[in-house]
Amino acid sequence: MTMTPEQARELARLAVSMTDADQAEALVAAESSALTRFANNRINQNVAEENALVNIRAVIGKRVGVASTNRLDDASLRVTAEAAVAAARIAPEDPAFPGLPGPEAVRDADRAVQATRDFDATARAEAVGSIVAQSSSRGLIAAGKVRTAEQVIAVANSLGVDVGQAITSAQATVLSMGAQSGSGWASFLDADAGKLAPEALGAEAADLAERSANPGSLDPGEYTVVLAPEAVADIMDFLAYVGFSAKAYDEGRSFLSNHLEEGLMSEQVGIFDDALSEHAMGLTFDYEGQPKRTVPMIDYGVAQMPVTDSYWAAKTGWRNTGHALPAPNPYGPMPLNIEMMAGEATIDELLGSVKRGVYVTRFHYVNVEDPISVLLTGMTRDGTFMIEDGRLTRPLRNLRFTQSAVKALYWCEGATKERRFVGTEEGASYVPGLLISKFNFTGQTT
Amino acid sequence: MHDIIAAALNAAQLAGASYADARIVDSSREEIQVASGIVEGVEHSDSFGIGVRALVAGAWGFSATRIVTAEEAVKVAREAVAIAKASALVSGPPAILPPLEPARGEWSGPIEIDPFTVPLEDKLALLLAADETLRAEPKVTLTKANMGFHREHKWFGSTEGARTEQRFVESGAGIVAIAVEGDEVVTRSYPNSHGGGWEQAGWEYIARLDLVGNAPRIAEQAAQLLTAPYVAEGTRDVIIDAGQVALQVHESVGHPTELDRVLGEEAAFAGTSFVGLDDVGSLVYGSDIVSVTSDATIPGSLGSFGWDDEGVAAQRDFLVKDGMLAGLQTSRETAAAIGRTSNGCMRADGWNRIPLIRMTTVSLEPGTWAFDDLIADTEGGLYIETNNSWSIDDKRLNFQFACEIGWEIENGKLGRMVKSPNYTGITPEFWASCDAICSRDYWSVWGLPNCGKGEPMQVAHVAHGAAPARFRNVKVGVGR
Repeated sequence: MTMTPEQARELARLAVSMTDADQAEALVAAESSALTRFANNRINQNVAEENALVNIRAVIGKRVGVASTNRLDDASLRVTAEAAVAAARIAPEDPAFPGLPGPEAVRDADRAVQATRDFDATARAEAVGSIVAQSSSRGLIAAGKVRTAEQVIAVANSLGVDVGQAITSAQATVLSMGAQSGSGWASFLDADAGKLAPEALGAEAADLAERSANPGSLDPGEYTVVLAPEAVADIMDFLAYVGFSAKAYDEGRSFLSNHLEEGLMSEQVGIFDDALSEHAMGLTFDYEGQPKRTVPMIDYGVAQMPVTDSYWAAKTGWRNTGHALPAPNPYGPMPLNIEMMAGEATIDELLGSVKRGVYVTRFHYVNVEDPISVLLTGMTRDGTFMIEDGRLTRPLRNLRFTQSAVKALYWCEGATKERRFVGTEEGASYVPGLLISKFNFTGQTT
Repeated sequence: MHDIIAAALNAAQLAGASYADARIVDSSREEIQVASGIVEGVEHSDSFGIGVRALVAGAWGFSATRIVTAEEAVKVAREAVAIAKASALVSGPPAILPPLEPARGEWSGPIEIDPFTVPLEDKLALLLAADETLRAEPKVTLTKANMGFHREHKWFGSTEGARTEQRFVESGAGIVAIAVEGDEVVTRSYPNSHGGGWEQAGWEYIARLDLVGNAPRIAEQAAQLLTAPYVAEGTRDVIIDAGQVALQVHESVGHPTELDRVLGEEAAFAGTSFVGLDDVGSLVYGSDIVSVTSDATIPGSLGSFGWDDEGVAAQRDFLVKDGMLAGLQTSRETAAAIGRTSNGCMRADGWNRIPLIRMTTVSLEPGTWAFDDLIADTEGGLYIETNNSWSIDDKRLNFQFACEIGWEIENGKLGRMVKSPNYTGITPEFWASCDAICSRDYWSVWGLPNCGKGEPMQVAHVAHGAAPARFRNVKVGVGR
């Protein structure tokens, strides 16, 4: 790693000191990452990078400007600081801007693992070799990735915020494909690359690929579904994206808008954001250097509150929950550490309770058609099965669904005890498998 | 810069690379967002770095750093070679690059007024004026206006002797009116959704968009959408506006004809393709009026350049000709799989990413119809505009799109407005149902600055030429 948290904090403080403004904030984000991709049972892409960014927010009265650079020499930092100040001087006033937040205690958490830093190109290749062998030995074709990364994030501002943290992540995904249109999927996400069990991961995907061979058809319609954690995480991502932000709430675009304290979902559903959980990965502070607080967004089905940052806390009157994204942030605050309440069942018990339904391993290319109902459409992928009389009977070709996520969770009738971390572009969710009694499939791939 | 590239290439060869290339990219962005009268963001960002790609014993490695010095270039070149050697531990058939005449020269995109020289005050004044005009409609409760500029200076060199230098300037802007009433949220955008319109051009493009002049129409339509009905579920003839046709081409022709997807190289993330290698020259992709080209030579398009990131010169090629699959988008390494040489589609998202097969300007070639004649020729159906949502399966067969607005067509005339019309279909069946495409008078190039692909994620700037087109018997009103 090219930078320690202490060095990143020092750099952030230096950038703040270079800024001739009423208030200033600097975010330093340094990353060292490597990713080995494989396809057709061989490594096809293998990359590594070192990068670091300084993002400076300058405040003059209620005017704000932002500039960033990955050139870290003093002269470049000075030019960037001047660009932020110049933008702030010209920007019109935002009467609602509350000023930068002051310092608050941030919980220490050791979330950087040496084994992940040490997981080099040879280790990644060996892991890929073990994963691929599980497919190639059965006449299947494997594709996926093994990725490791260390990020160092620091935030400082002219009011005394001065925090920094190193975090690591190791991720692996496996798609296994058979000649008879079967495909299976498995994934791994943890701060510790040492916990990756490549053979087991490769076997999980290959087993599913064999089992899902020769898939058949299913008429569109409303079905009971059992969603594996990977599919549940997709739903959480979209609830977060369109619904759990105080900005969306305030603007009336969220499903929570006008409905707080109403039972919008099943009592089996609890959704909260908790960066401090023993299960959580990632930062314990947000991109304004504020402590991330635990926020119950849905508690036993009842809508509680969205997440905030300093701007939207001041504007809405809620407490700052510490969910700022890097400035400038037109999206508003965002929960990045979603946990969903566990249930009491095993996945077999959920399946056992279904007379006729569909099991979904994961979704593909989901998108929002209507933000208020969180009406989603997308496809199933890599292991879709018919459930009949409590057991998986036959594989199905990929199905298209068009379904309100809020309504789906209203019809949630059970969750698994076991939860899994599922990493997505938006962050990582810790979620169980779910039983949902009504889910609308609207088409199928030919 | 070429000295630093030469140092990297020498180091890669000395470390054992049979081939290497290096790119230095120096880029800047300016992004401005206004929302409901407030400036939400004024941001300037810079990124600078070098990436080296090395081929060792037929296996690839890549490494990149933000520190652009000869010393660091040597370091990342050696690391790229070490990574390539690790790749060889789980190898398949060796990657082979067919011979290529080394590219040499300079290229710049067209630009009249450098947007980075236009005062920020002028940019904000335009956005705030457009935003204020949107807010004049009382039922519009949220408004957005955005503007962005991107500048890139790129140096490329290879161990085969290629040395190129290219400069790109892109400009984009858009406005959005959102009306919220109770549990109803409707959106209307101009000139396109998801970030507006984009061209490889300067400030002159922003001026041409006339954001302020278009704001009243957009705001009025947003207000009207609040009380407009949804489309009833059923099968209708649908006329799709050029902007949505562009996205339809992107998702259901552009991506499935990327040869890396066809070969399974992207299987685990974005997916594969329903197209097979043997389909070139035999697969009926659409009706015989459907022709689609891949063209990196259109002036002003986001998909244009002098050379791709392997040093292959920009070119025009048919992907679909008269309804038949005629070609694929290729790279140097993959093109041999269909017995051809690269048609120059390898592009990387900056210095820290490897080149992948990316769309250039993938266009539905214009037809012969006038728009009014097409409406008049349609007895009953729908006319729909501006994408709202998109989804397509991992083989690029089963798609579903939603648009912002539509109008029913009755007896050859536009009638009642409908909100959020969606439609679904299967790619070759859908294109086979295309029976009319408007002429070049209605054809334009739509820039899409947000095409995601690859791991780590890369965002490409691509474009699509499109005109309004009619599709028969389309399933609409899905899941409403």
